[in-house]
This record gives sequence, C-alpha cells and structure tokens, in this order.
Amino acid sequence: MATDRTVSPEVAARLAGKKAIRSYARKLADPEDIKDLNITPMMDMMTIILVFLLKSFTSSATLVNMDNNLSLPPSLTRLAPKQAVPVTITKRVLLVEGEAVASINNGRIDPQLKRDGDNGYYISPLVEMLSKVARREKKIAEVTGQKFDGELTIIADKNTPYRLLTEILYSCGQAEYANYRLLVLKSRE
Amino acid sequence: MTKRQVRARMRRMREHFEEAEEETVEINLVPYMDIVTNIIIFLLASVVNQVPLGTVNVSSPTFGAGGGGDGAQEKPALNLTVTVGGTGFTLAGSGGVMPPIPRLPTGDYDYNALTAKLTEIKKEFSEETKATFNADAVTPYDTVVKTLDAMRYYKDEKEQREKELFPDVVFAAGIL
Repeated sequence: MATDRTVSPEVAARLAGKKAIRSYARKLADPEDIKDLNITPMMDMMTIILVFLLKSFTSSATLVNMDNNLSLPPSLTRLAPKQAVPVTITKRVLLVEGEAVASINNGRIDPQLKRDGDNGYYISPLVEMLSKVARREKKIAEVTGQKFDGELTIIADKNTPYRLLTEILYSCGQAEYANYRLLVLKSRE
Repeated sequence: MTKRQVRARMRRMREHFEEAEEETVEINLVPYMDIVTNIIIFLLASVVNQVPLGTVNVSSPTFGAGGGGDGAQEKPALNLTVTVGGTGFTLAGSGGVMPPIPRLPTGDYDYNALTAKLTEIKKEFSEETKATFNADAVTPYDTVVKTLDAMRYYKDEKEQREKELFPDVVFAAGIL
C-alpha cells in the first residue's frame, strides 16, 4: 500500500542543511590532498639500520690501510680476526698500536736498536713498548676478572724476511706475548 | 534550518578544526633524516669496500715437562718439523729426516707435494696436531703463510671437505 509522504518545506530545508553540514564535516576530516607525508615509520627504520651498521662497523676488529709499504699475503684461512694488540711490520717501519717503534731498512732493523748488535734478536724499543702494553693489559684483565692471554695480531708486509719476523716474534715473547695471530687476506685459491 | 544557520555552523566547524590543527606541533624531522641518510650511505659504502681479513694462529715455542705416564705403551712423539730452505721443503721427525721436497721447475715451492706428504704422515699419527716451522732467514713472509696453509689443512677429495693436518704450528726457536 503506497503512502503519500508529503514533506513540509521547513523539514526539507532542515534536512538539506544537515546533509550539507555532514558532508562539510567529512570533507574537513578527510582532506583529499595529502599535505604532510608521515615519515616517522621511515625514521624508525632508518635509525635501526644506522645502529646496526654502526655496530657491525665498530665490531670489525682490525682495520688495515694497505699501501705500497704494506700489502698482506693471501691465505686460505677461515679464522676471523680478533681484538688483540696490533704489531705492524711495513717495509719502512715497525709499529705497535699504530705508534712507530723502530725503522726498517731493506728488511733489517737498525743494529743499534738491538741489545746484542747485528746478529741479536732482542729489539730493545719493541720489548720496552710491549712491556708497557702488557702491564696495561694485565691491569685491565685484573679489573675485569679475565685472564691475560698474551695475544698479538701481527700485520706484516708479504715481503718481510723470516729473519726479521723471528726477531720481532722473539722480542714479543720477551714481553710475555707468546701467541700470535698473523693477519692475512682471505682468498679462495 | 536556514541557509544562514548552515553557513554559521560550517564557519564554527572550520574555526574549530583550524584551532585543533594549530595546537598540534610537529617536529621537523627532515634535517635529521638528511643526516641519517648520509651516514647510512657512508657506512654502507665502507662496509661493502671492506677487505676480507683472516688470521693464522701460531705460537712461540714453550717447554713443558715430559709426560709422567707409562711411556712404553704410548706412541712415540712425532716432533714434526717443516723447514723452508732455498731448495725446497725439508721434513723431519723423531724417526729421522725425510727426502726433501724440491721446488717446482717454475721456481715456486711445491705446496701440493708438501700437503700430500703431510697427509701421509697424518694417517700414521692421527692424534698429532702440533708441528714446528722453520725457514731460511731470507724466506719472505708470503711463503711462510702459504707453507702454514699447506701444513694446517687439506681438502679430502672423497668427502669434499677440509680436514685438519697439523693446525697447531709453533715457530722454531732459531732460524737456519
């Protein structure tokens, strides 16, 4: 049964007004044009990546600047470098923790720097320097409750003669460092 | 509702909305984002360019007291020494000196022959892991590292994996 629904002009005007207000409110709430992009999630993500990268960057134990005076030999080893006191043997200089200890000429240390002269093994400035480092390391080990392991990282040029290497290792041994990690380039073949 | 009433209501709504918008203060994150992006690019580049480094562990000689056990029943100690000389490798043990491994015609050291010989020795002394290394005074460090590589592991062709030879290398007290 159909009903004749007649609406008075007043009611119609009120309904039309309410409809217009509602649509205006919707328009205000949801603007069609995006004014600002919400970059907060992106910032979260980037900060996490930054922290991760910084951590992996600082945890790489040894950073070596290779140049004409220092090129590492290749090796098939799979052992990763560990944090230890670095002793660097370049073609021109011997360094402990980046500090020059003795100069090297044609693969030989100046005989005056050796306790027993030209044929000696004891490199006095190296032993002195490493003894200082060993004392410091022992103190740290004592405070942190760890054991002093006497480990050194040897970063040597690939042309270093074995005689020089032995002299340096002997001197390191005199300063209570008996375990050596020879730093090499990892190669597959 | 007259048109005037509708317009007034809309104006009030707009004013209220604008006030609410003004009250929320947003931090300008764009400069921070610039910095972070730059740092990330720099770090990524330095991680990618990093040289793959590894270590070879060696130790200086230590002198310990002899075992106090029943020596007669134990296998004699091997005391293997590998020496790098001008002509090639020389292997020596408690039993004596083995025939030398000469250099290749190209002048290179025969690392494969050294590994093969050490593999034979390892079969006899499977428990032994120590070996002493010695070399000529002029032997370059490169050769030292390659010899250590040849002494430490070998690739088992049957099982397609690396096996230990003598990984605990000790540098000899003196040199040749």
